[in-house]
Amino acid sequence: MQTLQKLGRMPIGLTVPALTILLVVFGLPIVLLFLTSVNAPALSLSNYQAFLRQPANVRVLFQTIQVSVVATAICLIIGYPMAYLITAASKRVRMVLLVLVIIPYLTSLLVRTYAWIVILGDSGLINNLLLSTGLISSPLSLIYSRMAVYIGMVHIMLPVMILPLVSVMMGIDKSLVAAARSMGAPPFAAFWRVFLPLSLPGLRSGLLLVFVFCLGFYITPAALGGLRDAMLSTLIAAQVASSFNMAQTAASAFILLGIAAVMLSVLGLDLADTKTHGTRLARKSWRSGLPSFRALTRDLNELASPYRAKRWTAKLYQAGGSSGLWTTLGTLFVLLVMLYLLFPSVVVIIMSFSGGEFLEFPPSTLSLKWYSSFFGDPSWTGAAWMSIQIGVAVAVLSTIVGTLAAYGLNRTFPRLRSFLTLIILAPITFPSIVVGIAAYFGLLNLGLIGTKTGIILTHSIGAIAYVVVIVSATLANFDRRLEQAAKSMRAGPLQTFRRVTLPLIRPGVMGGALFAFIHSFDEVVKTSLVSGFSVRTLPLKMWENIRNQIDPTIAAVASLLILLPLLWLLVLYVTGWRPRPRAQNVLPDAVS
Amino acid sequence: MLEKSLIQATQIEFHRVTKMYGPVAAVRDLSLTVHRGEFLTILGPSGSGKTTTLMLLAGFEAPTKGDILIAGKSVAAVPSYRRDQGIVFQSYALFPHLTVRRNLEFPLEMRGIKATERTARVDRILERVHLSDFCDRMPSQLSGGQQQRVALARALIADPPVLLLDEPLGALDRNLREQMQVEIKSLHKDFGITTVCVTHDQEEALTLSDRIVVMREGRIEQTDTPEALYDRPANRFVASFLGEANILENLGFDRELVATQPPGTFAMIRPERICVFPADKTKRADAGQRQSVTGTVDDMIYAGPLRKYRVRVGNSLLMVREHVASGQDIFRPGDEVRLEWLSSDIRFVAA
Ligand SMILES: Nc1ncnc2c1ncn2[C@@H]1O[C@H](COP(=O)(O)OP(=O)(O)OP(=O)(O)O)[C@@H](O)[C@H]1O
Ligand SMILES: [Mg+2]
Repeated sequence: MQTLQKLGRMPIGLTVPALTILLVVFGLPIVLLFLTSVNAPALSLSNYQAFLRQPANVRVLFQTIQVSVVATAICLIIGYPMAYLITAASKRVRMVLLVLVIIPYLTSLLVRTYAWIVILGDSGLINNLLLSTGLISSPLSLIYSRMAVYIGMVHIMLPVMILPLVSVMMGIDKSLVAAARSMGAPPFAAFWRVFLPLSLPGLRSGLLLVFVFCLGFYITPAALGGLRDAMLSTLIAAQVASSFNMAQTAASAFILLGIAAVMLSVLGLDLADTKTHGTRLARKSWRSGLPSFRALTRDLNELASPYRAKRWTAKLYQAGGSSGLWTTLGTLFVLLVMLYLLFPSVVVIIMSFSGGEFLEFPPSTLSLKWYSSFFGDPSWTGAAWMSIQIGVAVAVLSTIVGTLAAYGLNRTFPRLRSFLTLIILAPITFPSIVVGIAAYFGLLNLGLIGTKTGIILTHSIGAIAYVVVIVSATLANFDRRLEQAAKSMRAGPLQTFRRVTLPLIRPGVMGGALFAFIHSFDEVVKTSLVSGFSVRTLPLKMWENIRNQIDPTIAAVASLLILLPLLWLLVLYVTGWRPRPRAQNVLPDAVS
Repeated sequence: MLEKSLIQATQIEFHRVTKMYGPVAAVRDLSLTVHRGEFLTILGPSGSGKTTTLMLLAGFEAPTKGDILIAGKSVAAVPSYRRDQGIVFQSYALFPHLTVRRNLEFPLEMRGIKATERTARVDRILERVHLSDFCDRMPSQLSGGQQQRVALARALIADPPVLLLDEPLGALDRNLREQMQVEIKSLHKDFGITTVCVTHDQEEALTLSDRIVVMREGRIEQTDTPEALYDRPANRFVASFLGEANILENLGFDRELVATQPPGTFAMIRPERICVFPADKTKRADAGQRQSVTGTVDDMIYAGPLRKYRVRVGNSLLMVREHVASGQDIFRPGDEVRLEWLSSDIRFVAA
């Protein structure tokens, strides 16, 4: 009690649990890893030189950048108009469209990748259709190509581009565009001069997030790409699997990390230039690289915005004055994008009811055999149960630790806050293969490789970051005078937290817990590195199946996982993700 | 309830308190005594340290130097939640997730008071602030004035010995504000609580307070009763901050007065102490005690019951305020007028 009260007076102390876990599992190992990569204490760059001397490595390096740039660009080209159309839609249509974008966003990445294998594969949906209609005589090689990689990556990244854009666009006062029109600006000029500049923050958030995720992408390129489409992550994973030459692997990891950092500051810089003080800001970011990371913090905040319910519902407006042709084109575009986002999941669900020996689309006979095969196979149910246990433990641990940390960060000086936030967010901003390797060494020191505890800790460092982002966003809107009021009424620090703060930030905390669970429940890359061979989680088993294409049961598993986002949305709805009838007008900040 | 409060009423002392925010001194060397049961208002321009003073008293900030005593004991080591003060925040800080009733019960619950007693006390105070019908509403479903009354009731319900008000009426419109001033005043009288109120509305300060503290840049300029403060301001700042003040630069017309003027002071007269006549009217019979100068009307403002003139006399402008009465002369810009006042209405104020 005494110590707790002291901690309460020293809010930064609340970040200690989070930082301790982070430091032990990730912080110290990554420093050691860096020292290894430069052959400390000798300090040489030989490992980096060795990496760069191999043309194949350099090719992969440039390929990684190229694929990321192209994928991000496609996301932008599709995502911006899509976000605009969603924002401009009527309130009800917008809510439906948003839900339809959020569902794939919350759907397991493995499942979505699997869906594309099913569609693009040699005996997949497209080839089967073309073969059966007689248009082609032998299967087209759609999968294991660069195009397949782009189709899969863009599919997965598109919601990450659209959601921050919508969130910013909905905050734009439509009367500004109307005002520009009234001053004689034609529609396009009004868009170009007023709406576009105002939407830049969302654009930047989307671009940065998509690009950073793409750089470290492992699963989808590995599953859909050919041998020539390897990304840096794939290369590192191969190094880990084949030799585990630690110094060499460490060097590769830091090259990937370095590229991410450089590309980030370049991207942050370019877009900063569009603002008035751009040049000054740009020079600064060259020196420290910090501003773009800080921007990243902000961007991650944008992802948390589904939890700021009022932003979705506030400032409703309709895009006025659109002609019939544009409406038709717009509708068509929205339908096509939605088809692209949702069709794969639908295919998987339908196929999972196939009655034959193999999965077919459309199924010639219907049966539940793959479902009974899932529920009858202890290796599947065991893996699922394992994942649920781990996910729940991760959610509980990181929600508690992360909420404490977010609370502590909220109460400290801005400088310390942004510095510590950067550190806490590292596990989700760094490429996951890098985090995984660091965690591997961290757990090796603790003797926790191949244990449930080890996996829980590994997942928690990422999950804590999500909780901190989401809870911080909620706390930023929290009126601290409510706490002072409670204290003036003789409520001690703990009582104040329990009776006033917690009830008011509960939607954020629940959202954080949900994200923590999802993060854990879908995690493959890090898990595969730290699980040894003893712990089998559901994603690990699925990944194994996807790579070796052994068991059609995965279609049933995938279908079940596709239904989860609906459950998540329900959870979000129940815990406060909805417009409140009247509470908004007077005390909006404290409520949401 | 009433007697108990009176007995509880507590004296507060600030003893040379300084509060620094980094290099900025928000409060400097402030010493002040708030008597038992007194209604004291802290008045000052924006950024003068009023809120900081209140936060120090509430225990949300700790003094950099000096000490604060409540009922004779230092509260340096007493955290805010043990200080037993009722506070009304500017934004009311009603808990948005609790109904009016639960909001009012909160301070009682924290004091471990039983449910039946709580209900009774909530009912009693709701009646007192005329909100009995609203107890099951959420704060967001109340008007500004109703929220304000809930906040006041919540601050008073546990009979705290000290009540702190931070711009309690700032968010209300003028009519409601005047109504609430009456309400607060009568509540203060009934409960007899030592009250410290922060405002930058001088009218509010003059209406409510037993004494007023005028602050500037973290320092106390003057502490006095409303009347004394208005009638005998200690310096030029207080004189012009509280009401309007004419500073008479040149007293060449009054030898006697010049002789009595302490060095380094200004002569000051309130606009309503000056009478205005047509320039050609003869002097009154009692002219002996009066000073008179002539000037030109520069501007006239009609303000309901008042008429305000700005009159150019030599190089300086004098403000004159006259109550509107029937049969009065009305002057227009450009008119020649004669201004008269009693020598005894002149005040000498420090720079
Ligand atoms: N938390 C803080 N950190 C730094 N400076 C502060 C802080 N709080 C107040 N100050 C500074 O202290 C001075 C006094 O502030 P205070 O809020 O007490 O003024 P005030 O008299 O209440 O003004 P107002 O009428 O505008 O509310 C100001 O210069 C303000 O900028
Ligand atoms: Mg203030």
